[in-house]
Amino acid sequence: MKVVVIGAGTMGSTHSQAYAHMPGVELVGIVDIRLEVAEALAQSLGTWAYTRLEDVLAAEDPQVVDVCVPTHLHKAYVLQAAALGKQVVCEKPLARTLADAREMIDACTAAGVGLYVGQVVRFFPEYQQAQRMVREGQLGRVGTTRLTRGGGYPNGWNDWYSQVGSSGSLVVDLMIHDFDFVRWCFGDVQRVYGKSLLGRETNRLDHAFASLRCKNGVIAHVSGTWAYPEGFGTSLEIAGMEGMVQYSSTDGPSVHTLVRAQKAGEKGVAIPASPLVKSPYYLELEHFIDCIRTGASPVVTAADAYAALEISLAVLASIQTGQPIDVEMWRKQQAEGLVEGRKTDGLIFSAKAQQVGGEQR
Amino acid sequence: MKIGILSFAHMHAYSYATALRRLPGVELAVVADEEEERGLAAAQQFGTVYVQDYQDALAQDLDAVIICSENSRHAEMVVAAAEAGKHVLCEKPIATRMGDGQRMIDACQKAGVKLQTAFPMRFNTPIQHVKHQLEAGAVGRILAMNGTNRGQNPGGWFIDQQRSGGGAVMDHTVHVIDLMRWYAQSEVREVYAEVDTRFYDMPIDDCGLLTLEFENGVIAAHDPSWSRPKSYPTWGDVTLEVVGTQGVTRVDAFAQHLVHYSQQAGKPLYLGWGNDPDMQMVEGFISCVREDNQPLASGEDGLRATEVALAAYESARTGRPVRLR
Repeated sequence: MKVVVIGAGTMGSTHSQAYAHMPGVELVGIVDIRLEVAEALAQSLGTWAYTRLEDVLAAEDPQVVDVCVPTHLHKAYVLQAAALGKQVVCEKPLARTLADAREMIDACTAAGVGLYVGQVVRFFPEYQQAQRMVREGQLGRVGTTRLTRGGGYPNGWNDWYSQVGSSGSLVVDLMIHDFDFVRWCFGDVQRVYGKSLLGRETNRLDHAFASLRCKNGVIAHVSGTWAYPEGFGTSLEIAGMEGMVQYSSTDGPSVHTLVRAQKAGEKGVAIPASPLVKSPYYLELEHFIDCIRTGASPVVTAADAYAALEISLAVLASIQTGQPIDVEMWRKQQAEGLVEGRKTDGLIFSAKAQQVGGEQR
Repeated sequence: MKIGILSFAHMHAYSYATALRRLPGVELAVVADEEEERGLAAAQQFGTVYVQDYQDALAQDLDAVIICSENSRHAEMVVAAAEAGKHVLCEKPIATRMGDGQRMIDACQKAGVKLQTAFPMRFNTPIQHVKHQLEAGAVGRILAMNGTNRGQNPGGWFIDQQRSGGGAVMDHTVHVIDLMRWYAQSEVREVYAEVDTRFYDMPIDDCGLLTLEFENGVIAAHDPSWSRPKSYPTWGDVTLEVVGTQGVTRVDAFAQHLVHYSQQAGKPLYLGWGNDPDMQMVEGFISCVREDNQPLASGEDGLRATEVALAAYESARTGRPVRLR
């Protein structure tokens, strides 16, 4: 199966490497408007670099287009690929706004192609196991859950992560993983409340707290950070009447290597690792390719990705308005156009957001 | 110096009594407890005199009292102690209503006696280490804090609304909020909370989640739930992460422990080897009485932390954030 990856940044590289090693899959090209970046990645993986999607589509006629560009740019590529009948893999968050996300889902449905969204936490074995414990009732009735995620500030093309109009801040870009996990384990979210550093005078630092109340009563604490000096980590805790399960990626990794400095004056390095035969990213893409081959429904659907985006945007709206948000009511208000700006998905921003990112939205 | 303990209703009284016995020049002169059996046993255990009526204890020649009654009875005893001219160390939360707390503070001020709130976490050595780091600017300006004080259902009067004033949120909010106030050097401006009963079948809250903003713009979250299962290796935890402009620090107040894999207990146990914060707190109280210093955690500190717990209940009831100032 021929696959083309659009975007040679962090996630585009991860996906490209996975495809390059996947039996039965041919990585026929990497598209990036930065030709030199695309070329460096393409050369390392023995494939071709392009700056325009239409060129690789014409040259290779791939079946699958994998979109790994900044969030606000997903829609254009997804619509272009769907219109040509390509199967679409799209990095999370599906889109920057619910209107875009809806349009992308509708376009793929109309074109009869699949839309597979990279909510990769569903493929992390530790999260899968925790979810299975909840589903099987091993923890009894769950009372509280705590999910944390983050590390240093991400570096991206044109510093797009720092522009809330492009990335939606860490609430949409990063915490969406844990919002999806909450939904996966406990079902729909009734109301949300959030606080973050968005709009406060901090340069390339963000930290956010979200308080979620699920319809089934579970109280979820989701915390995201891009305020650490370096590194990345996640943790989960689920506490129920019959027990509790905990995990932290930074507590005692399975392999911890310390390398002595090679020259005087240099620092040594620590290399923690949690190796698996197949990485969660590989497992995710392998599953999507398998679904494309067999027509099976993916374990995480575009509708799930849409719902996770909706929670993320509701939390962002709470942060920006200072008020808790009843998700269902908020959805209705948006449908009726009662909330300011279909353009911005109910986010009453501009003024506040402009201060931070100065983005064009 | 002669000290009395008024009521052993709160189990911390045993720890404070132990601390008193270990301090030179300090005598636990009397134990007062309405419940005769409990009071007599405690008096015997700590080798002192028992009286049933706390007024009889206050009539004695005491320098100070430690009050460990049920939360809702703190006010009455603290005011009586102040009127009897005794310095006071009062168990947390200092009151169950703001008016009571203010009355206690006013009475102590009027009588010219010390009022210290029992916030032993301020005396916990790792917590103090972080305080010093923050004062030295180790993480720059504080931006956000994330705390936990989880435990197990203590049962007894703790789950009787009349006597406790609230469940997990009342019991486990104040310690960490006090530390956050102390670290941030600012008061809580706004509180949003989810509060519920999900772990035990009982008519009082056992879990919650607070989301806060301080006057200086610091944001924070706190988990006060009684969510630790019986199989947990210890009673619970106190942790606090502080995110600043120049870095991050995380303190686990009870991480200084051995892990004991006990055949008999059938579960791992944490055996703390760090400094005893209760001991250091009682020592601090005695020293501020002796040397006429201000307590490290005052009655006002106790009241400001209680205010946040009460606001959490109000927020949960109304579904709105509660603006305190």
